[in-house]
Amino acid sequence: MQHLTRIKWFVLLVILQALVLNHVHFGRFATPLLYIYFILKFNSDTNTKSLILWGFSLGICIDILSNTPGLNAAATVFTAFCRPKLLHVLSTRDPDDKFEPGIRIMGLAAFSRYALAVIFLHSAALNIIDAFSFVNFNILILKILSDALMTLVCVLCIDSVRRER
Amino acid sequence: MRNLINFLIKYNHWLLFVLLETVSFVLLFRFNNYQGSVYFTSANRLCGAIYDMTGQVTRYFGLADVNRDLTARNVELEIEVERLTEALEHYTQDTTGIARLRREALAEYTLHEARVVNNSITRPNNFITIDKGRADGIRPEMGVVCGNGVVGIVYLTGASHSIVLPVLNSRSNISCKIKRTDYFGILKWEGGSPQYAYVKDMPRHSEFSLGDTIVTSGHSAVFPAGIPIGTVDDMTDSHDGLSYLLKVRLFTDFARLNNVQIISSAKGTEQTALEDSARIALER
Repeated sequence: MQHLTRIKWFVLLVILQALVLNHVHFGRFATPLLYIYFILKFNSDTNTKSLILWGFSLGICIDILSNTPGLNAAATVFTAFCRPKLLHVLSTRDPDDKFEPGIRIMGLAAFSRYALAVIFLHSAALNIIDAFSFVNFNILILKILSDALMTLVCVLCIDSVRRER
Repeated sequence: MRNLINFLIKYNHWLLFVLLETVSFVLLFRFNNYQGSVYFTSANRLCGAIYDMTGQVTRYFGLADVNRDLTARNVELEIEVERLTEALEHYTQDTTGIARLRREALAEYTLHEARVVNNSITRPNNFITIDKGRADGIRPEMGVVCGNGVVGIVYLTGASHSIVLPVLNSRSNISCKIKRTDYFGILKWEGGSPQYAYVKDMPRHSEFSLGDTIVTSGHSAVFPAGIPIGTVDDMTDSHDGLSYLLKVRLFTDFARLNNVQIISSAKGTEQTALEDSARIALER
């Protein structure tokens, strides 16, 4: 049953990202990279390998739909690889504790901190690989920050709505 | 040996990480080099079908503007045709010749209608997906135009969808010239606004003024000569100081692209084959 929910979220996020959010550019820059929410919500005891594999399949699905083979996959694999360490460092809970990261369980402050770190890492990786040069450094930084901020807002919104159910 | 195996078992997620990153980057670079696999892009069957559905919904939103643009362009062309016909009649005193000329000009080229199903304008390298593919006679390297002007060149073809490399891609190179004075250069896009591109390699002695129209040169087999691209908006020296760099305001509004035409020319394949064999001969 848990797998079914996971696959449902997977399809939903891929479709939403590729068809809608990739075409959203607030103030000509900020694009919400909401699909990373999928990686954020894995249980804290998920092993890194399966996280990386899920990240790769998520990234490649979005890539295929948006004509950027490998771009999102590379960034998402990197993010999935870093997530366990970030969660371990940034959550105030016992490391052996098993929990699903979220506002309800971690509290708003801790979850925001953890989400911001993961999202920022993802946005930085994605935009650096995409631009593949530091020629327009200021624009790159602006894009990374605006994407990360936009994504964080979306993730917090979705998570608080989900919590109330 | 045992230590090595223990090490590999303990850190096997590192291996997986490196492996998948390598796969991703191979995909990324293969697509960036010319002609990657169709399966990893939106030209494959499933993605094409998904974009067909969304395209059917979203294409209605821009219809009013497209219509207005087309009408304006139509009127412009009517006036021009009228003027040219008069001039021709004046010079040749022959009215039946004009119809023949028009037939001959279009005889070499076939136009295929297609609809844009996916489009991006804000990335450093943008791509457009259209709903015609190999089955409809579309081949890579064909030119793509819309009612207002040049769009780009077909890059990859799937069975029933294709990917177009538009002007708004840093790898696009389109040979162009100034309509009034015939000096030619290369049209490039360097990111930023989707309304402006640059003409490089315009010689220092060339004559032009701001507001001049830029059209395709017809030197490559892809586009026939004289398809409008844009107007000269600004001029600067190129980085090496040997030529001018013209800023061009594009006629095509890529943000509202709906219907496009793909130009295939019978002469084109022959010219391309000839140029390719010449290049291969030189490289030997």
